[in-house]
Amino acid sequence: MSQFPIELIVFSAFSISAIVFSLLVVEHKSLVYSALSLAFLGISNAALFALLGFDYIALFQISVYVGAAVMFILFSATLFREIPPTEVPMRAAAIGIAILVIAAIAAIFLPYNEVVLSPVSIPWDKEGGLARTLVQSYWFPFLVVALALITTLIEGITLARREEVVE
Amino acid sequence: MLVIYSFLITSAVIFGIGIYGFITRRNMLKMLMSAEVMFNGALLALLALSRASMVPAKGGILALIAISLAASEIGVMVSLAILIFRIKRTIDVYELRRHRG
Repeated sequence: MSQFPIELIVFSAFSISAIVFSLLVVEHKSLVYSALSLAFLGISNAALFALLGFDYIALFQISVYVGAAVMFILFSATLFREIPPTEVPMRAAAIGIAILVIAAIAAIFLPYNEVVLSPVSIPWDKEGGLARTLVQSYWFPFLVVALALITTLIEGITLARREEVVE
Repeated sequence: MLVIYSFLITSAVIFGIGIYGFITRRNMLKMLMSAEVMFNGALLALLALSRASMVPAKGGILALIAISLAASEIGVMVSLAILIFRIKRTIDVYELRRHRG
């Protein structure tokens, strides 16, 4: 069991599922299944956040990102007519660009190959924790984000409501 | 024993898949979802790098703000797609370019 620690198994499972679901988002023909795969990608990512020690960010990711935003896409996708897939001439170029970007990022972050992940959870309400830093140092961006979410809600309702028929 | 680099490689692969989808798709919603895949990869890289830094809480706060802004962006983009589909009856970006003006 010491050869296969539980963290390694959890990481492998969720990183593979994240990659598979991101491929499904891009490649699946149906919009609804793509949106559903995006939800599962968000959940896999949240598990990786928790593994990194950011438990509260993982909860936030599941409740706000998956629970609200991705579900919004999922239910909106049912409104659209499915567009039949067409041949895209840029497929080979896109694969080349994607591989180039992955190789560049891997090369840039190569020095982090030595940094071992210590099993520490990032505190929420203690000194230096997320909540205190957010309220004490980052209260203005927090306010702006809250206003942006409220504005989006109003904008979404205004744009998506049924038009009234004038007789 | 887990290293930060394995998280960064995972995030790079997710980001690359998002780039591939964004370039090849012509459906507006598919392009938005590919951009969201890229966002998920970038978010994982941000948290992995902040975990390796001296003050990981600051990276966590950046992630909180980024997730909230991504939710706002999804709301705006999907509402715009609904509006465009109602007017033009398509969300194919090639078709929309043809009908512009």
